[in-house]
Amino acid sequence: MKDLKLAAASPDGERTILEVGGVRIGEGLVVIAGPCSVETEDQVIRTAVAVKEAGAQMLRGGAFKPRTSPYAFQGLGLKGLKILEKAKRETGLPIVTEVIDTRDVSWVGEYADVLQIGARNMQNFSLLREAGKSGKPILLKRGMYSTLEEWLNCAEYILAEGNASVFLCERGIRSFETYTRNTLDLSMVPAVHAESHLPIFIDPSHGTGILGMIEPMSLAAVAAGADGLEIEVHYDPPSALSDKNQQLTPAAFAALMGKLRRLRAFMDEMGSAGAGTV
Amino acid sequence: MNLDDLRTDIDRIDERLLSLLEERMEKALLTKVFKEGRVADPKREADVLDRTRRPLRRLVSPDFAVGIWKNLMAEGRIIQEKGFHTIGFQGEHGAWSEVAAKAWNKDYASIPCREFVDVFDAVRDGNFDFGIVPVENTLGGLVGPVNAILVYADLRIVAAVDLPVTHCLLSLPGTDYREIRQVYSHSQALTQCRGFLNRNRLNPVQYYDTAGAAKMIAEERPRDTAAIGSRYAGELYGLEVIKEGIQDAEVNRTRFFVLAREDIERSSGGLRQKCSAVFNATDKAGGLFGVLEIFAKAEINLTRIESVPDKPGDYAIFIDFEGDEREPGVAKAIDEATKATRGFRLLGCYDEARVQ
Repeated sequence: MKDLKLAAASPDGERTILEVGGVRIGEGLVVIAGPCSVETEDQVIRTAVAVKEAGAQMLRGGAFKPRTSPYAFQGLGLKGLKILEKAKRETGLPIVTEVIDTRDVSWVGEYADVLQIGARNMQNFSLLREAGKSGKPILLKRGMYSTLEEWLNCAEYILAEGNASVFLCERGIRSFETYTRNTLDLSMVPAVHAESHLPIFIDPSHGTGILGMIEPMSLAAVAAGADGLEIEVHYDPPSALSDKNQQLTPAAFAALMGKLRRLRAFMDEMGSAGAGTV
Repeated sequence: MNLDDLRTDIDRIDERLLSLLEERMEKALLTKVFKEGRVADPKREADVLDRTRRPLRRLVSPDFAVGIWKNLMAEGRIIQEKGFHTIGFQGEHGAWSEVAAKAWNKDYASIPCREFVDVFDAVRDGNFDFGIVPVENTLGGLVGPVNAILVYADLRIVAAVDLPVTHCLLSLPGTDYREIRQVYSHSQALTQCRGFLNRNRLNPVQYYDTAGAAKMIAEERPRDTAAIGSRYAGELYGLEVIKEGIQDAEVNRTRFFVLAREDIERSSGGLRQKCSAVFNATDKAGGLFGVLEIFAKAEINLTRIESVPDKPGDYAIFIDFEGDEREPGVAKAIDEATKATRGFRLLGCYDEARVQ
């Protein structure tokens, strides 16, 4: 990966730690949780309070949704951003939300703490540049057809604009397998740690699309040394306007968090968490 | 032209009618001062009705117009008889000074004035019961013009209000925020939001007043344009709050003085929290120090000290200190300070409200 100047692993193996609203990303395990879409104030705030109680450090929620169909729910836009801002005021959780339009980047940055660039926009280079210019922390998800090298080059686009706050998230790639929504490529955790200094998260919700697989894949991601997880949680999944089959209930999320904490403690005890040795 | 366009126009006209009605009622309320207790004035009312009766307009029939104006004047009499207290402020309705006035007493009728000096003059002349003026801001410092007037104004400070100034980006409902290019507001507000404007590539355009900018947008409906002002201004002019709290500094507070011709008593009685005074220091070494020493020795906490250029080479010094002039220690310090300075004048003892 000779073209990487800023995203490549540093020779001394030092990893980047980003500080976002008091949360240190790249140090310990950081869990971002929340609904797929912002639907109502009540839905977001109830979910936010629940995930905070369960131990999540950041709140996710989509106000702009890149949907497969133009007729599917597209998100609440500005109204959704205001709801997220309110949820932050009530819970103190920093906000992670997706941006899909270059014209929205600076505005979304006024409400959110982290701008997420989704899988479908990973190689939208004008969006990457704009995200770089915003100076806001960027969560860059892996495109569903992208190689590690392409992905890290996209991070490079953001870093090259002078924005050092980038972290990555694997969310599954397309393969011949249709049983799961995507094929979650957990090998990216040690691969990113080997090739880059940027923190790497795993999104088991999109990675599998199957409720029962979220827990085993989350545990596997932590065992592999992931810096964090992004998990979809909805206080009432059957009523969700999008991704209703892959959002955990708060109770299931809280149970998962308990297991993650114990696994993480075990990993720390072994001295191998996030070792990054391949 | 279609039904929606026409209804939009009608809605705009209604907004303006309401705003004009409010203004008419304000003027009616103020006439009371000149009427010496007799609110009804049949001669004047007959004149007004005569004018509305002129058959120059085709759709507004004389009977219809007279009916409306009879109602208006009846309402005007009711408002005068209710005995609303009035408080003047500088700016248009929705200005930060009006927000402060409402924070101090929400039941008083707040009356807009063009300039600061108009507020002082109208209180002095008895046209308003109270006036409210900004004296200092945590980002912008001293409000020079107000302090310069305070030096000579023969009015009492009867209250202080410390108000958080949370600027909002306001636009016409339905505006796509991504299309906003110009932002109108008072230069102070634009300066306080410079980072926000830069980040979003918005051009600042100076306007005489924050609320005036909001009003202009509501009335003229320019494209691609927003205003910076209070949430209250947004509500008043039917604008949408795109983002609240767009000022660069987290803490942005303005302190206001409420002025009246005479001191007011606390409704619960008891001592008031603070005093304000103004004086000229004697022109000699240690002149100012001597005054400050008096308060230091009496263990009276000075909370503000400001100097305002007065005559050439001379400065008016404003001090605020804790305590009430009825406390013996405070009275003694005031007495000593009066002797140690030129033109020492106690501007008032009052309570200060800190709004969250």
